[in-house]
Amino acid sequence: MRGNSVPRQRSLYSNQFRRLGPTRRRFLQGAAAALAGVTLANCQRNISDVQSGNGAGATDSAGAGSGTLHIYTWADYINDALAAEFTERTGINVVIDIYDSNETMLAKMQAGGGDAYSIIYPSDYMVQQMLELEMLTALDLSRLTGLENFLDQWQDPAYDPGNAHSLPFSWGTTGLLYNRDVVSGTPTDWDFLWDNQDSLARRMTLLDDVRETMGAVLKSLGYSYNSTDPDEIEEAYERLLELRPALASFMSFGYEDALLGGDLAIVMAFSVDAIAATLEDDRLEYIVPESGSSVWTDTMVIPTTAPNVDAAYAWMNYMLEPEIATKAVESLYFATPNAVSFDMLSDELKSNEDLFPSEEVLARCEGIAPVGDATDLYDEYWTRITSA
Amino acid sequence: MDASPSKPGVSKFGGQFWNKLQTLAGPLALLGPSGLWLVLFLVLPTLLILDISLVPGLRPGTVPGAYGFGNYSQVFNPFDPAFDPVYIQVIWRSIYYAAGTTCACLVLGFPVAYWLALMAPRRWRNLLVVAFVLPLWTSSLLRAYAWTSILRPTGLLNSLILWINGMVPGLEIPTQDWLYTRTAVLIGLTYSFLPYMVLILYASLEKLDRSLLEASADLGANPRQTFLKVTVPQSLPGIAAGCLLVFITSMGDFVVPTLLGGASSMTISRLIYNQFLGITRNWGLGSSLSMVLILAVSVAIALLLKYGDRSSVTET
Repeated sequence: MRGNSVPRQRSLYSNQFRRLGPTRRRFLQGAAAALAGVTLANCQRNISDVQSGNGAGATDSAGAGSGTLHIYTWADYINDALAAEFTERTGINVVIDIYDSNETMLAKMQAGGGDAYSIIYPSDYMVQQMLELEMLTALDLSRLTGLENFLDQWQDPAYDPGNAHSLPFSWGTTGLLYNRDVVSGTPTDWDFLWDNQDSLARRMTLLDDVRETMGAVLKSLGYSYNSTDPDEIEEAYERLLELRPALASFMSFGYEDALLGGDLAIVMAFSVDAIAATLEDDRLEYIVPESGSSVWTDTMVIPTTAPNVDAAYAWMNYMLEPEIATKAVESLYFATPNAVSFDMLSDELKSNEDLFPSEEVLARCEGIAPVGDATDLYDEYWTRITSA
Repeated sequence: MDASPSKPGVSKFGGQFWNKLQTLAGPLALLGPSGLWLVLFLVLPTLLILDISLVPGLRPGTVPGAYGFGNYSQVFNPFDPAFDPVYIQVIWRSIYYAAGTTCACLVLGFPVAYWLALMAPRRWRNLLVVAFVLPLWTSSLLRAYAWTSILRPTGLLNSLILWINGMVPGLEIPTQDWLYTRTAVLIGLTYSFLPYMVLILYASLEKLDRSLLEASADLGANPRQTFLKVTVPQSLPGIAAGCLLVFITSMGDFVVPTLLGGASSMTISRLIYNQFLGITRNWGLGSSLSMVLILAVSVAIALLLKYGDRSSVTET
């Protein structure tokens, strides 16, 4: 061994003599190259945004009437087939960008990063908030056909009287999605999470959404989803703090695989995601908790900054068509506020209690409403919950 | 009497100035583009962040209030009524992650870099370096996501442990539930930044003055002494550069803690994100946290430049 290593060392050491000088430069070169790698890697995800922004500007200045329609929406609200049919009919290209929470969307719009979008899909309470911030265009209802098809409760919704600025697009609930093979017993209410925090430790998640998650805890205490009472909000915070060590994470999407594999047992989920999962696999079950939950409406709006407003109206009219709305429900699994399109659904979907809960279940649910000055309190507690 | 001596002085100074400018014209022209770039995309944005950070509780869509240090005192001043210890907790957690990652990268990276630079067959060396950098060609998001399927309770890691337990009778390695814990974040960060550490250490070790190693051996030092007294001191600037780079980038990393960290793994970069694109949208607070991060990184760089210089001076 020794004999082996000596000649090897010799050949190693007898390399040509080099001064130390260039070494530091080499480090810097290496560092620079590595930094460039980091920067580029981090840029990648933003490039699509930048491009879409430029794209809209270009078509705008070209003055083309049709051109491109930029839509900013939730994941799973548009699929390629729907977009392709629209392009086929109107010649307008559709570019879709996706957000995962109303707040992310609002932040981007407020920072001026959303000037390219002609259609956005905010939820009910966010419509109210954006109205207060004067970010929404008043709709010219005469340019829209099929408004009479909306069910009664969406003819004059509280968040936007007379649908003056927004069109209801979909609705659903928030609840618990669980894997029957993993969870022992049948969850019926939010309390299930607290009762089983030992046996299901780090196998449950709540939504990464301040209003939904705080609202659910408030509801479990018998308060309103939209409580503005500081004592009630603090009580909810304390209760959530109790559950936190048992939570795997706060996540609004991306839990399906872990839930099917049994790594997660029960997650808080929006019905639109949960139903898709239950239809895919029998082991998964969705419930709307007994003490109540939220019922939400997502809408289509035209922001005041929208380019290509004609294309936006064309898109709205397209989505108002009962046939198209039906196709969307059948492939994307959200409940439709469109009565005609509801009638066109298959009996299987019509009778799906997860998709269209009974009046009795809905009576226990509330829509999320703006909470005014209590927003700061919600934010403060939420920061503490997620940061501590 | 006053005027006559001063006038030539001025013109002399003026002449010097022009001469200086002429000799500087070349370097200035060369530095101009990058200087402009730096001012436009680094200095000005940083000043803008500083400006926003001095408006307490600035939120988009609201009327900005007066200037003040409210955002900073909310984070650091325990006597402020708005003070919340959670922010300092988050800053410490970020430092902990960054320091842990740096140590792990150094311990894992040094032997690899040493082997690559001094022991690997010469003709394979470049190929091996490329192979080591290859993972960086994939999106960091994708690589972090891959770790979730390795670390989850029924994931690859535990399958492997169970398989080994099954193969070797009597062996009982406990299965691990690491996903959504600190361990997962440290593993993910170390994995992400190890290639940078190896690259920089490799560059440093490759240029090692081998005659000194030879001399050390000739003078009777054993390999361990040679390593500790000759190899390590020579590669110190490289170690410092590598550690610093890994520390800074892992402190600012956003993807890994988000995906692997779970319910109690908030880091300063995620907190800043939340202040701008997330739920809370407090631009003032977010900017002040950004300034804290920028300041910490600047101090680290200043320290490195100082110590980097000194060590290279003493060694030549």
